[in-house]
Amino acid sequence: MFPRRRPQSDFSAELQAHLDLEQDRLLAEGMPLEEARRQARKNLGNLLGAKERFYESSRWMWLEQIWQDTRLTFRHLRTAPAFAVTAILTLGLGIGATTSIFTLVHAVMLKSLPVSNPDQLYRLGNETHCCVWGGYGQGREFSIVSWELYQHLRRNAAGFEELAAFQAGDRFLGVQRAGSANPAESYQGEFVSGNYFATFGVGAYAGRILTADDDSPAATPVAVMSYSAWQRKFGLDPDVVGGAFQINGKPFTVAGIAPPGFFGDKLSSAPPDFFLPLSTEPYVQGDSSMLDQPNRHWLALIGRVRPGFNVLAMETQMRVALQHWLQSHLADMSPNEKTRLAQQTLYLRPGGAGITGMREQYEQRLQILMMVAGFVLLIVCANVANLLLVRGMERRQQTSLSMALGARPARLIRQGLTESIVLSLLGGAAGVGIAFAGTRLLLSLAMAAADRMPIEASPSLPVLLFAFGVSLATGIVFGIAPAWMAMRADPIEALRGANRTTRRAGSLPRMTLAILQAALSLVLLSAAGLLTQALHKLERQDFGFEQADRYVINIDPLLAGYKPAELEPLYRRIRESLGGIPGVASVALTLYSPMGGDSWNELIFVDGRSAPTPADNNISWVNRVSPEYFATIGTPIVKGRGITEADRRGSRHVAVVNEAFARQFFKDEDPIGRHFGSGDPRISGEFEIVGVARDSRYLTYGLSEPVGPFYFLPEGQVTEHLLPANRTGEIRSQYLHDIVVRVHPGGRLTEEQARRALAAVDSRLPMMLMRTMTDQVSSVFGQQRLMARLTSLFGMLALVLAAIGIYGVTAYSVGSRTNEIGLRMALGADRGNVLALILRGAMTLIAIGLAAGIPLSLGAGQLIRTQLYGVNERNPAVILLAVAALGLAGLLAALIPALRASRISPLEALRAE
Amino acid sequence: MLTLEEKNRVALLQGTLDLLILRILIFGPQHGQGIARAIQLNSGEVLLVDHGALYPALQRLETKGWIGAEWGVSANNRKARFYELTPKGRKHLTEETGRWRTLATAMARILDLEKLQTGEN
Repeated sequence: MFPRRRPQSDFSAELQAHLDLEQDRLLAEGMPLEEARRQARKNLGNLLGAKERFYESSRWMWLEQIWQDTRLTFRHLRTAPAFAVTAILTLGLGIGATTSIFTLVHAVMLKSLPVSNPDQLYRLGNETHCCVWGGYGQGREFSIVSWELYQHLRRNAAGFEELAAFQAGDRFLGVQRAGSANPAESYQGEFVSGNYFATFGVGAYAGRILTADDDSPAATPVAVMSYSAWQRKFGLDPDVVGGAFQINGKPFTVAGIAPPGFFGDKLSSAPPDFFLPLSTEPYVQGDSSMLDQPNRHWLALIGRVRPGFNVLAMETQMRVALQHWLQSHLADMSPNEKTRLAQQTLYLRPGGAGITGMREQYEQRLQILMMVAGFVLLIVCANVANLLLVRGMERRQQTSLSMALGARPARLIRQGLTESIVLSLLGGAAGVGIAFAGTRLLLSLAMAAADRMPIEASPSLPVLLFAFGVSLATGIVFGIAPAWMAMRADPIEALRGANRTTRRAGSLPRMTLAILQAALSLVLLSAAGLLTQALHKLERQDFGFEQADRYVINIDPLLAGYKPAELEPLYRRIRESLGGIPGVASVALTLYSPMGGDSWNELIFVDGRSAPTPADNNISWVNRVSPEYFATIGTPIVKGRGITEADRRGSRHVAVVNEAFARQFFKDEDPIGRHFGSGDPRISGEFEIVGVARDSRYLTYGLSEPVGPFYFLPEGQVTEHLLPANRTGEIRSQYLHDIVVRVHPGGRLTEEQARRALAAVDSRLPMMLMRTMTDQVSSVFGQQRLMARLTSLFGMLALVLAAIGIYGVTAYSVGSRTNEIGLRMALGADRGNVLALILRGAMTLIAIGLAAGIPLSLGAGQLIRTQLYGVNERNPAVILLAVAALGLAGLLAALIPALRASRISPLEALRAE
Repeated sequence: MLTLEEKNRVALLQGTLDLLILRILIFGPQHGQGIARAIQLNSGEVLLVDHGALYPALQRLETKGWIGAEWGVSANNRKARFYELTPKGRKHLTEETGRWRTLATAMARILDLEKLQTGEN
């Protein structure tokens, strides 16, 4: 048990009483008053000392001492501003970089959807499939489903309180406010089941949310608008709620506004602006509707599990239901699908984070960035530790003196520790400041359309705690060593005179830190080099089409309400109108322009061949193009001809294939004149191959693999499919999205010119996006560019920090060897010898660092191999370059103190003794 | 310059001050100045108490529960803090005194032995 703390005033009173009593005694012995008072004081000894010792014995002392130490630290730091600023900035950069990256990781990888009880949500699928999957089989698992299958699963999964379905892909909608004079604008839309909002437990911000009643063919068409769209496009106008809108030319009423934080079921750079009931899909999409196609899978599922239900049991139950459903469609299945029927399965996975396509996409890159930031933080810590060690050395004399005068070692250690903790906390504060500014920057670099991203860019509380923890740990870990060394300071040595010691205590830890820095910097530099080389390889590859003088304009005729039969004249008018702009050389339309991000594939059946077995890979990508397409995009035709004006509705159905298609399906045979069909072996004579185009890259993924088979069909030619599902797809494929415009070399096309030319064709036709082909291609490599840039940035930072480290070690060693150098010079060493002596020491450190860094770099290359797109991860040129950069930086850093050493005057150095 | 008298005085050995304080308090409650004075007088003016060391020692003993303290009035009517031996302190004193006697006897023996040997030579 502790006694109650005695107040200091009480103790002071006691000492005063003592003085009075002693004075009385001395007076009684006949001493004069003044003399008695002086003597009493003298007898008491050091009154302050007594007070202090009294004070130290109290148990609250440590708190007061922390405060004292902190004040002392600030006083010390003020006398060494260069040290303080360097340490705080260095720490700030390291912690700021780490915090920024961690904020992103937290936002993208760790956070749940802003809905109630996200842990009760389960999603369908291990993998994320997008956007439409045809047929009665789906690779390894059913991760998206048709509407019919959704209804079936919903009936057979009792454990779900609610099971919601929603569109897996993105959908542009042409929206016009009723009575508005402005043309329809494009918005992101998503078809969702009536219980969508109920499943997430999300209410309306204004008006009402969608209900099960809205999701029925008989209901009046209503939509829910996102808060973001309401704010961005309608200035929070209250009349929007209950207002009339035209969506894809169809009347809709906006029933309500979703809450501000709700960004839908997935983290995406383009969250939906409108949520429409599934039942309105045929109403909006017309002939290309998928709702009633049992084998068109386009809906993702998320459900809220009732408390107490076993998810594994529900998964099994749903697998059985899936098999039942597939059995019921046995008659519609192709032989392939029948063979694979037994393998078809599904998975239930925690869905609190939504449909996490984005996470999967970014996860590995964020992990690499985390590692890079961690390395930078390590280098920063090494640097700060070095600074603290130097400071400890410089204060050795002072410390020794303090100890000689009776200061207790523990107190001195605590003082040193306080200083490093204060420094690191200040550095942490600077880091948080840098993080607040840096995260937004990072986010805008990381993801296109970052301003619309539903990601919190300011570090949240856990992130701030993380930064605080990191800085505190840095302070404690790297404060103990200098403090320990300070404690071991030998008073005798200090009193013997400054810098006369022969031992260079503490030079080993300092050298080790410099070596560590060099090694880590080498890892970062070589990783940066590899990523940069990979980016160059990606950007400078032969794409098989031309980027210069080409523009891509995105439209959607479906939004303007065009019927399939009206499309051919529309395309002709668009080509004429845009082609009439001065400076434009040619115009062509295509379903998907290269590197635009979308694609379509089909099963191929070559005429005259036996039907492919399930093991055969007979998949090819398909595209639909207008005449003059190949000339406009700049892809050479290597054999036969391209698509011409003669290939129109009613003429012979033709196709142009790429070289990969010819190789895969015809090997050494001449493909010209051969026939093939798609989707159905019964129509294998459908297309006649009239030309072979050079391989060109269309897909934005699989960038390190060779281009796969492609075939190009003329717009306007419609295949009469026997299967109804294929017929819908055929209609959808007639709606071309992209216009490619080629201008004469050096010419320009402004957005205004393009808009006017399109408006002249039809004012209802919204122009969704226009950019140069170069922009379209380089936007695909945004992520890779970000990785390369950030790693390079961090690599440079590491290089600078390592150079500072080498400089510090060398400068300190020069300083403490002044006498030795003076002596050597007095004994006949010339300046060159001294320079060599100092540089040899520094270069030895760098060499050891490099030797340790090279295997680490090779290991790091192995880790980031998937990001390298075929660049050899053991690239000797990259590592050599990094070694050279580090060696040069280290040499420069060591040269400054070495030159200073070579200018030491032997006389002065010896006199300074 | 030290006077002859001061030269003959001995600084207290570490740890002995506590024992002396307890011993003085056997005679009844006393304040700090009185304790210091008593040690000095009872040792024949040989033991000099550093007053600055006295009060931390008193504080230490109080914390250990060997002495208690209370404000009171001194003989010449001054307000002072009086210290008093607790039963626990008394017990400690008894033990410690025994230990010191043993130590002192042992030391005296060795020192006398040396004197004897010197005498023989």
